[in-house]
Amino acid sequence: MPEVLVVDDSKVMRDMVVACLRPYPGLTFTHASSGLEAIERLSLQPYDLLVLDLNMPDIGGIEVVEFVRSQDRLRHLPIIIVTTRGDETSRTRALEAGASRFMTKPFTPDAILSEARGLLEEKRG
Amino acid sequence: MTASVDLADFLPAYLAEAEELLGAANRHLLAVEASVRRGIPLPRAVRELFRALHTIKGLSAMVDVEPIVSIAHWMETSLRHADRAGGRLPESSVEPLMEGLREIEQRVRQLAAGKQASPVPPGLLERLEALEAVALGTAPAKPAPVPLELEATLAARLSAAEREQLTTGAGPGRRAVRLDFVPNAERAARGITINSVRERVAKLGETVKVLPLSGPAAGGGSLTFALLLLTDAPDAALVEAAGGEPATVHALTATAPGPVPAPEPELPPSLVEEEPEEQRRGGGTLRVEVSRLDEALERLAALVVNRSRLTRAVADLTAAGAPTRELVAILQENGRQLRDMRAAIIRLRMVRVGDVLERLPLLVRGLRRSTGKAVRLELAVGDAELDKAVADRLLPALVHLVRNAVDHALESPEERRAAGKPEEGLVRLACDARSSGLLDILIEDDGRGVDARAVAARAGMPVPQTMDALLEVLCRPGFSTRDAATATSGRGMGMDIVRRIIVDQLGGELRMETRPGAGTAFRLRVPLTITLLDALVFECAGLRYAVAVGSVEELIEVDPARLVRSPGGGSGGAVTLVERRGSAVPVLALETLLGRQRPDGRGGPGAKALVVRQRGEPVAFAVDRLLGQQEIVLRPLEDPLVRVPGVAGATDLGDGRPTLVLDLATLGAARNGAASSLAPGSGRERAT
Repeated sequence: MPEVLVVDDSKVMRDMVVACLRPYPGLTFTHASSGLEAIERLSLQPYDLLVLDLNMPDIGGIEVVEFVRSQDRLRHLPIIIVTTRGDETSRTRALEAGASRFMTKPFTPDAILSEARGLLEEKRG
Repeated sequence: MTASVDLADFLPAYLAEAEELLGAANRHLLAVEASVRRGIPLPRAVRELFRALHTIKGLSAMVDVEPIVSIAHWMETSLRHADRAGGRLPESSVEPLMEGLREIEQRVRQLAAGKQASPVPPGLLERLEALEAVALGTAPAKPAPVPLELEATLAARLSAAEREQLTTGAGPGRRAVRLDFVPNAERAARGITINSVRERVAKLGETVKVLPLSGPAAGGGSLTFALLLLTDAPDAALVEAAGGEPATVHALTATAPGPVPAPEPELPPSLVEEEPEEQRRGGGTLRVEVSRLDEALERLAALVVNRSRLTRAVADLTAAGAPTRELVAILQENGRQLRDMRAAIIRLRMVRVGDVLERLPLLVRGLRRSTGKAVRLELAVGDAELDKAVADRLLPALVHLVRNAVDHALESPEERRAAGKPEEGLVRLACDARSSGLLDILIEDDGRGVDARAVAARAGMPVPQTMDALLEVLCRPGFSTRDAATATSGRGMGMDIVRRIIVDQLGGELRMETRPGAGTAFRLRVPLTITLLDALVFECAGLRYAVAVGSVEELIEVDPARLVRSPGGGSGGAVTLVERRGSAVPVLALETLLGRQRPDGRGGPGAKALVVRQRGEPVAFAVDRLLGQQEIVLRPLEDPLVRVPGVAGATDLGDGRPTLVLDLATLGAARNGAASSLAPGSGRERAT
């Protein structure tokens, strides 16, 4: 059963992401309200997909991506960045750091579901 | 397969979170403003303000509220520059940012009222955009030359602002330290996580940055969180906050030399109160929409009513001789479970009074500007909590009292100087939750006090002789001590609204003390919750009524032979008194107050009496007989046509018949005159 870690300091935004991905069969969701909490959870348990905001307290999403990609165990974890920062610099930095997809808010439910489906099916092979 | 979710469904949740974020943004902006006045940068508050706006922007984009997206975007742009400038914001930026927050707030309210958000007001975006250049032009001050002893790889992960914060923030009595926390599954199971550690550490110092470090860690872990802090706490306290060993502490800067470290300059209370609180979002807290809590309450209400029906049915069975022993035992257990569930739901509905009042500093700030008065607001609300429904009703009354205190009560700086007072006036709000389910609130000022003669002259009546009488005049609808309505306190919205909220809507108490030249204090007492109550059910003149247990001080027997009629007080009416433990208490016949007669036509007070406090004094309300105590769900009578002073609402006791829930103190006060004229027999009854 694929496990998704949804990371955003806004609870409403996490709920929106979960609602958008819910139609994908069999997904289970874990919430994290900060990048630090995400890193802690990733160090304690495996996940199949990370949906990550960029702007969070203490450390931002880019730093989380850099941390994830520095770990052998997490090197291939699919990461979707969902962010309000739609500028090209943020996009380039996120993708260079190792994000799999970059989506700007507002995104449509279909768009994020389609990205998640693609990444999960790619991972499954 | 397509996603069938409609993001517009998230609007109620969006509004709740936006309200919360705006509260945080206001707090942080006030803190930033205070720091600007002191010429000290406050990078953390700038960052938190930025984040709050950024989140509002993202959420608003998701639910398609374009005006808020635009305003938040330009506000965060200027704040990003301030962040890069080490948390420095030019003073001229504060007002446009305040304006931006107000405009966002207004649009959130419009959406909450089911309206469209208005377009961005003309010129606002230009004003916010112009802030960018000002902020960029601010030269960062040179940091104090305190060397940072941090590995180069870690130092490289700090922004310039964070590095500066660490080096300049360390000083006499305060040092920069690195606290290492190692998480693991066993600790997580005990609730020791990076979130809980951060919360505990925040009480001991200022967290500048937290860096995750992978690789072999102390205690056999593979991940370490390095928390870089400014603190004056001892190492042992920091290690304990991080869950004990294997946590470690290393100094990043030495404490400033000198035989005795100079103490931190003490900040005036208003500034202390305006410092940003550590962020309270996330962690172990779950936000729930109020409508969901209301739904839980509705379900509980149905259970409570059903249980009453069940109790009645079992009583009938027992009376008919059926073996009901086990049924009764189950019913008792069920009653305990319902009470527990009731307590759990009430706890869920409780909000911190401090959170409810977070807008007051902003209000006072605005009043400082509009009135030109120097005002210090002191809030001493502690950890008191109250039901969200009560909080929502109470807040406008508190806002009005604080507004009145600044606008009417406090003198101008010149007047205060001439009166030998400090130029800065004081408004203080303190709360104390009592175990009896009541919240005491004090709002006091050190202003000019209420001039009873002036009030009497304006009202065209004799000078009130007591504080209660003076308050009574002040609470007359439309009464104002001002000749002309001002922008902040006009004639229309006066103390009558405050009293209506506190006394009529919440069934609470409002009192006042004032001393000319020295100030005024309003004392409010409100119930912590008004929806689920323990009630006494009684019968009076052939009808059933309920009253909140918390409002009743005592139940006494009324022996007609021991009733005493005394000559009346100041107004000349006779008073019927009943003896209570050696002292005489006025007694009122409830059926008289209600304008009812007993079916048998018998007059005089009933056999039992409920003693309640009316304006601080005990008054006994005689009723015919007590039927018992039970929990009820209070349904407010919102329709103005059926709302009557002294009737708190209605409830269903389980038999489908509506039962009025009375607020005896208000009823007694409201029907004072009526009681006198309707009193049975030759004597006239009135409350003192």
